[in-house]
Parts: sequence; C-alpha cells; structure tokens
Amino acid sequence: MNRDLIKANLNLHALLQNFEELTYFDTQTASLTKDWNETIYFSIMGGIQAYIEFKEMKCTFGISKPKRSSISLFFLSPGHCNAMFDGKSIPIPLKGITRIGFLMTDFPNLTKRLEYYLKPTDELLKNEEYLALNTRFSINTAMHAIKILALMDPVSKHSASRMKDGVIMLKVLPDGPAAQLIISHGEFKVLKGEIEKPTAVILFKDLKIANDMINGKIDAFSAAASGDVLIKGQLPLIDALNLILDRVPLYIS
Amino acid sequence: MNTYTYEKSQSLFKRAAKVIPCGIYGHLSPAPLVPPTDYPFYAAKASGSKFWDVDGNEFIDYMCAYGPMVLGYNNPIVEEAAEKQRKLGNCITSPSPVMVDLAEYLVNLISIADWAFFAKNGGDATSFALMIARAATGRAKAILIKGGYHGVSPWAQGPGHHGVTDEDVKNNIYVKWNDISQIEEAISDNPKQIAAFMATPYHHPAFTDSEMPGDGYWQKVEQICKKEGIVLIVDDVRCGFRLDMRGSNEYFGFKPDLICYCKAIGNGYPISALVGKDYLRNYAAKVFYTGSYWFSAVPMAAALTTLKELERINGPDIMIKLGKKLTDGMTEIAKTYGYNLKVTGVPSMPSIYITDDESLMLHQDFCAACTKRGAFFTSHHNWFISTAHTDEDIQRTWDIVEDAFKAIKKK
Repeated sequence: MNRDLIKANLNLHALLQNFEELTYFDTQTASLTKDWNETIYFSIMGGIQAYIEFKEMKCTFGISKPKRSSISLFFLSPGHCNAMFDGKSIPIPLKGITRIGFLMTDFPNLTKRLEYYLKPTDELLKNEEYLALNTRFSINTAMHAIKILALMDPVSKHSASRMKDGVIMLKVLPDGPAAQLIISHGEFKVLKGEIEKPTAVILFKDLKIANDMINGKIDAFSAAASGDVLIKGQLPLIDALNLILDRVPLYIS
Repeated sequence: MNTYTYEKSQSLFKRAAKVIPCGIYGHLSPAPLVPPTDYPFYAAKASGSKFWDVDGNEFIDYMCAYGPMVLGYNNPIVEEAAEKQRKLGNCITSPSPVMVDLAEYLVNLISIADWAFFAKNGGDATSFALMIARAATGRAKAILIKGGYHGVSPWAQGPGHHGVTDEDVKNNIYVKWNDISQIEEAISDNPKQIAAFMATPYHHPAFTDSEMPGDGYWQKVEQICKKEGIVLIVDDVRCGFRLDMRGSNEYFGFKPDLICYCKAIGNGYPISALVGKDYLRNYAAKVFYTGSYWFSAVPMAAALTTLKELERINGPDIMIKLGKKLTDGMTEIAKTYGYNLKVTGVPSMPSIYITDDESLMLHQDFCAACTKRGAFFTSHHNWFISTAHTDEDIQRTWDIVEDAFKAIKKK
C-alpha cells in the first residue's frame, strides 16, 4: 500500500472530522463559523474524497461527494494533499474561485484552531479546558485512524484480521468523552458516545490518564495494572487495537 | 466469606513501575487479569498447591506458575536432589554428570527420543527445533497454527507485534487448527520449501476454548510430513508431562520428529529440552546453539528427580483425575446458579469459560471473585493442575466458587 495514500486518507478522514466537534465545543471556533454557509469538498485524483459543511452554526463531515458544494478543492495526488496538510502546497480550486477571500483568510483561521488543539504542549495541557478538548479530539482522531489503518496499513491489517466482530468502547471516567469502534465482518465503523453492552471496554480514570495514554506517554500495561486504566471484556480486541494505534505516529504526528 | 485486599502488592507495583518496564512484564503481567486490582501481584512464599502473597493472603494455585509447578511448590524430593547437586556445583566450566543421566532418562522415557538437548526456556527449544528442521531440509518455511504460541522469539510473535519485522515472519505460513486442507494447500503453494510443521499437541489459545485434534488429524499430519519431507515438531512445552509421560503425542497416537519441553520438566527449576529422532542428531550437532546457563547442573538434577517422581506416581493420571473432579464439581455449582461453565482441553490443564456472556466480562467477574476468596483463577488462559492439589483443596475451591457465584449473581 502506498504510504502517501494512507497518509492522505488519515488527513482527509481522520483529521477533518474533528471540525464537527471543534465547532461545537470551542467557543472561538463557534464564533468564527456562526455565519458561514459553506460546503468545502476535497477530492484527490484516484478517488479519495471528503467534505465539511458549515451551516446554521453546525459543522457536518462526510467522506463522499456532497450534494452541493460552494468550494471544491482538488489534489493531483495523495502526496499533493499531504503537502497541503503540511503547509507546503496549495490545492487546485475547481469551484468557488470567487470565495478566494474565505479560503485565504477565514478557513486558515479555522485550521489553525484545530492545529492548536491537536498539537499540545505540556504548558497547554495544564489548562483543564484545553486538556478536555485535546483528549476528545485525540480519541476521535485515533479511532478514525485505527479504522483507516486496519483496512490499509499492511501490518495493521494482520492485527485487524485477528479481531472478532464486536464493539470496543473507550470512555474517560466519569462523564466522557466516549467513542466506539465497531468491527463487523471485516468492516470498521467509528461512533461517538457510549454503548450499553460493548464487547470490550477501555475506561480511563480521568482526562489526564486518557491523554497520556492516547499520546503514548504512559505504558498501557502499567496503567492497566495500577487501575488507572480498566480494560475489560474481549481483551484480544483491545490488544489488536493497541497494536494498530501504535502505528498511527508512523504516518501522522 | 472474607475477600482479600492487596495494599502491599499495589505499593510494590508502584515502586516497580518506576524501575521495570511494565512493572511486571510478560506472561506474569497483571494487565490481562480483570480487574488487576482484584489480584495479588507479588508472592511472598509457596508450598505444595498454595502460595501466599505479600499481603499474607493464601491462594490455592490453579496456574502453577503458568505450568512449571507440577509436583507442588518446594517439593521435598525435588528440593533434596537440587540441594545435593548445589553442594557439588551448579554452573561450572565443564558440564556435570547429571546432564548425561538426564539425557539418558529422557531418551528412555520419551517414545520418539534418540537424543536430548538442554536449554532454559520453551522458546529456546522451539527456536532450536526450527533451526534443526531448516538445516536438515535446506528449506526455510514453517507451517504454524493460527493462534498458536511458541514463545517470544521474533519469528514466533507474528506480524504486527512491536519489534518484529516483516523479514522475521516472512517464512511463517499460518493455517487453521484441525484443517488438513489448509496444510495441503500451503504445501502445494510452496513446493519443496516447507521445512517444518510445528504445533502444540492440542490447540490451547488464550481467551477461548481449547480444541482437541479431530479424529485422524495428527495421523494425517504425520503422513503428509513424511511424504513431503517436512520435519514434524511438537511444542509440548505446556502439555508436556501433564498428558502422558512418554510424550503428549502418545496421548493422541502419533510420532513427531522433534518434541520441545519446558515448564513441568523441572518443577520450577529453569530448564527446557528438545528431544528428537536419530536422523536429526547430526543436524542438531551442526546448529550452533548455546547459552550461559544451559549447562547448570542444579536444574538438571531437579528435572531428573521431577521426571522420576512423576513417572513413579503416574503424575499425568493423578492430575487428569483431579482436574476432572474439580471442573465437574464447578460445572454443577454453576448450573445451580443458572450459569453455564464450559470446560475444554485435557482436565490436567483445563480451559474454563462461562458461556453466558460472549464479552467474557461475566467470566472475568467470576474469576476475580474466586481469586479474592482464595482460589487463584485467571480468566484468559488455561489453568494447570499439579499432583500436590488435594481433595481438601478441591472442596475448598468448590466452597469459594459457590460464594463467588452468589456474589456475582447479586451484582
């Protein structure tokens, strides 16, 4: 599997979906996007696509072509798309050329906000609100990334092939956030929120533990043994999930 | 019934986590024990079928150190033999005569053995067996069973695991247990390239039921290996001397070319062995394979005495009967509380799962509840019975099981 292709999938499908909750939970983003009525469509030659729609103070993310878009951004290759995410290239606008002001000013302000939350520093993580949002976005990004790698990364595919059908739920105690990875007949799906009867659970004692764990700052075995993280149920599912999760940084930081 | 707490274990673990990766690593890691806080982490002492943790809690041990304990902790006969050898010498510049005694004993005991080689861990034996098969056949690939376990060498860990490269596992071909057609397909897809077929005598993966070989499975595998010039390796590390003293293959009626032993062979003393047929002797001699402590005489003396004692008392028969009695009783108790307890594998190393909840959470609650009451049960791995377990232990375990079911029913 082409490394650029996997990375482009991660960029378009695991990172962009965070705009939904960024708009909902971050007051600065909510204020920035409250009057927007834009649908931005991203497509890469060869088929990968995604869109984010801002409408009526809400952001919706999708991985298909939207019914209508106000802006359409095209990439010649997965590498071209990745270069844009690394700030080293710009997309080809196929539609919405008149919205150049929005693309040059407003949208970058939004992406900077997401970058702010996805690239934590030790200092920023001392802020409770920042910690909560960074953890939420990290969990969501990780779960979507696992879904992508399970289907595309050759090593992760081996781990995924050992996963029985079921639902793995991650939850930060006591009140969330929570997310689910659903495995069914070789297909993977990510949902936000809790489920009553998961097949396996990973319960983090608090936000700090969850954040440290997702960002690889503490080892899972010690955390589980000490009770900071409670794992329960079909542990082979969690074992495979961890193996895949550990491969995410090979593609995106 | 009183339940245990583990303040000293937890406190020790906090210290350990600062200076030891994982705190406790590998198969003794508390991570798969659910919840770990219901389990002891550190043992203070052990005797017979029991151990005591650092908090002073007493446990009837159904893991037997994950297999090595077979005649009971601190078995006086084994300890006396070890002590006698210790006084003479242990790790010396030249091997001790007990090495020859032990090899001769194994060659006489194990039906297919014409020679014996000693190391420390089961993984030493499985890796050596694979190297011998490759040396003998001039081929690289090995057929392994999906979900099987042969130690922690990179080739044995499988793809996707940390520190394992694609190159480490590129010669492995995984087939489903009990599926002859997949073996035939693997051979047909890789003509004259398969050096070995390696499997445990029966399939005992973690987190799920054990599976016995189907009718004629091993006989067919033996026949295919002979026809195709493939070395048939049995990894008897876990089952060895708990099914049949002559080799677990005898329990299932077939003859492999190489058999790997560890665990029960030394009643807790660090030693493993590879035994093989005569035609592989020269290849075993040619493969350079050794380790700093592989000639230690004390474990050899302990192993020789352990095997003699197991043979004298017909250890496997005792353990199979004890395991059957224990699990039959547990199954009946479970029924009275409305639970289905499924027991698979050979009774001397039973795999036990409550089948009423596929997520295993109910089963994990049950095992934790029993452990907190004094019967050490893991919820992810087959258990082990020793000859030191007694009828009193079993009765006490049944009482614990009953109280645990009451507790989880209430919960």
